[in-house]
Amino acid sequence: MHPDRLKWIGLLLGIWLLPVYADLPPLTHGLTLVPQPRAAPALRLPTMDDETIDIAALKGKVVVVNFWATWCPPCRREMPSLERLYQVSKEKGLVVLAVNIGEDVDTIFPFLGTVDPSPSFPILLDNDSHSLSEWKVRGLPTTFVVGPDGHLVYQAVGGREFNHPALLQQLLDLLKE
Amino acid sequence: MHGVTLSLTQILPDQARAFYLNRGLPAVATETYAKACVYMTILRNDAAPGVVHFQLEDWSVVSADQSRPPLSVEAWLKRLEAYDLTQAATIAFRWAQFPPEHAYQPGGDWNQGMLTTGLEADTVFDLVARWDVAGEPYQGVLRSVRCAP
Repeated sequence: MHPDRLKWIGLLLGIWLLPVYADLPPLTHGLTLVPQPRAAPALRLPTMDDETIDIAALKGKVVVVNFWATWCPPCRREMPSLERLYQVSKEKGLVVLAVNIGEDVDTIFPFLGTVDPSPSFPILLDNDSHSLSEWKVRGLPTTFVVGPDGHLVYQAVGGREFNHPALLQQLLDLLKE
Repeated sequence: MHGVTLSLTQILPDQARAFYLNRGLPAVATETYAKACVYMTILRNDAAPGVVHFQLEDWSVVSADQSRPPLSVEAWLKRLEAYDLTQAATIAFRWAQFPPEHAYQPGGDWNQGMLTTGLEADTVFDLVARWDVAGEPYQGVLRSVRCAP
């Protein structure tokens, strides 16, 4: 098929071509303890609104850091649950940061409009994927939970249902500490 | 198998072309990749007795006349250097591939990514996936997989 035509097909269907044909496993429901607890690496990036967020300024809070991209099927699948988690726990002091890897606002914004509920937490832009090596990420999506003392507590490799009661309880317990 | 889920689903050549053309790869670069017999690969630690650690270089794609590991991400990135890709296209290519190495905690760590066998269309092969749990070797075999044209 002609490349231009393929490009349009891809533009219309995007990554959805892939999960349609994949035998997708359900999103899982738990966070695992970080094997060797360590201080969270640096993370200072611009948001889609041109503000800069520095995780060092969030000490004292529980911070969920999610690394993702729009072309990553499990990242797309877990995004609504990340927003639901944020909605039920932001008043308790939970912060969610979603670090997009390598994409621009023109690509990310239309995707966010398709997510229900649409994310209201900050989307950070890592244009050169530098944060992935800093945080030792080996695959997308990967999520870390940083405790109030600035150390990594939990991690999740692969897609999660972030508002599942079991996972939510892990975070609520951490917020109480 | 051994508390681990492993699955392959072929990404047909037109699907692979469409995906990467939209990530900014030039048509000539997508063509080589699309014809490399690409599979959406999922590996997940559901209930293994510990952390599942693997390296793709330990896996084997076994066809009638050869046995070799899947094509590596590094080899693809090397080939793509010839096309002067944008940073965004290179990042999308790299991170859409199945991880070359990882460790999955019990209870549901997993990844989904693209894996290339490098075989010709219509080839039938076995995929032998190998991993270890606390130093103990395990393997799972998906037999008689056919690479559709």
